[in-house]
Parts: sequence; structure tokens; C-alpha cells
Amino acid sequence: MNRELRVPGDDDPVVMTAEERTVWVYLAVVIITSTAYYAVVIPRVLSQPIEDVSWITPMLWTLGFSIVGTIVGSILGSIGGAIGLAIRGINPKGQLEGDMRDKDIKRLGDRRGAVISGSAMFGVLVLAMIGADLFWIGNLVFLAGTIGALVETSTKIVAYRRGM
Amino acid sequence: MPPKPTKVTNRIRALRFESGEMTQADMAERLGVTRQTVIAIEQGKYSPSLEMAFEIARLFRRPLDDVFHYAEGGADNQPSS
Repeated sequence: MNRELRVPGDDDPVVMTAEERTVWVYLAVVIITSTAYYAVVIPRVLSQPIEDVSWITPMLWTLGFSIVGTIVGSILGSIGGAIGLAIRGINPKGQLEGDMRDKDIKRLGDRRGAVISGSAMFGVLVLAMIGADLFWIGNLVFLAGTIGALVETSTKIVAYRRGM
Repeated sequence: MPPKPTKVTNRIRALRFESGEMTQADMAERLGVTRQTVIAIEQGKYSPSLEMAFEIARLFRRPLDDVFHYAEGGADNQPSS
């Protein structure tokens, strides 16, 4: 590709679409909430019998914060992005709304994340069959959801940044 | 991190230049996509759908294979515009 051919506007800053910003927010929220969950639960696992470990309440808080955090973060990100564009004098028209590329990237990321989450179901089945404590079943599902979310978001970010 | 090239290359940048210096934003608006998508297609980081490829070719009033090329030996064998 001949990069000498420059059309006015080609060098204007490129901003993230709302979809890409949401992916970044989701990734940050997953990392923060999962780390907080394990920071609370792992010390309990190490200090008491598994049957006595209180994990349901921390997990509910984690899931709640993940959902609310992603929604609020996306809204704040959109507002911040729009303000940032206005400050830099960039016309946001045609730069923020999603299109078919966003849908293709979403499909790719969702599929890879679902492979991880789906695979964990086999592990859950095995744990249930051998009568494992509910702690292990609940936490395997949580771990699979976390890893699935990390795979999903990192796949999307790589696709946005490096191409697909 | 270097871009991940597709096997489909194109002459969009040159064609925009030849078409009265059409901007990426103008092209995006005419195609109904974001400017980011136009940039990604132009840089070979995203292969458009067949329908979009025809729309792009029609925009420049060129046959499809005047705009897009499929590098047989992979992304290393890219024609220059």
C-alpha cells in the first residue's frame, strides 16, 4: 500500500467506538471484581475447612458489582469520550456508533469466551457426580466465567487493535 | 504490536486520492460504517463482507478486482497501489 498518498483528514485522531470502549470497561471490571473476590475467599479457604467457607455472599457482591460496574462504566466512558472529542475539536459523527465490524468482532469474542464457559460445564458435571462440596461447584462456574470473560474481552481487543 | 494482515489487499487509499481526495469520513458516511472500519479495511486489518466490497467498488465506479486483490501466497505477496 502506498502510504505517500495522503488525503486531508487521514491523519485525524481515531477514537474508540462505543462498543470497543465497553469491552475495555468490561475487562477492567472483571479483573477488579474477580481479584477482590479471590482476595476475600482465598484466605478463608486457607484458614478453615471448605464446608465452613462463606463464599456465596462475596460471590453475589462480585456479580452485582460486575453488572453495575460495566453498565455505569460504559455510560461514564461514553460521556467522557464525547467530552474528550469536544475538547479536542473532533467531530464524533460516524465515529462512535457500531457497525458490522463491531458485530463481527463481538461474534468472534463471544464464541471464544463461550468455548471456555461451555467446557467448564463438563467439570461441573463431574464434580456433581462425585458429590463434591457446593463450594467447588460454585467456584468452578465462577472461575470459568471469569476466564471466559478474559478470553472474550482480550480476543475482541486484539481484533480491534491488530485486525481480524 | 504489528497489525495482523488479511490475505485481501486493496487500493482504497489510492482510489480515494484519485476520486477527488475523498476523506475516510466521507467514505464511511457513504457506506454507512464508521471511519474506524474504513481505516481497518484500508490497512488490511479487516476483510469486508462481499456485499460491502461490492459497495466500495461501486463507490469508486470500478470493477471489484480493481479495488481488492487476493494475495495467493498469503499476506507477504501484496500488490502495491
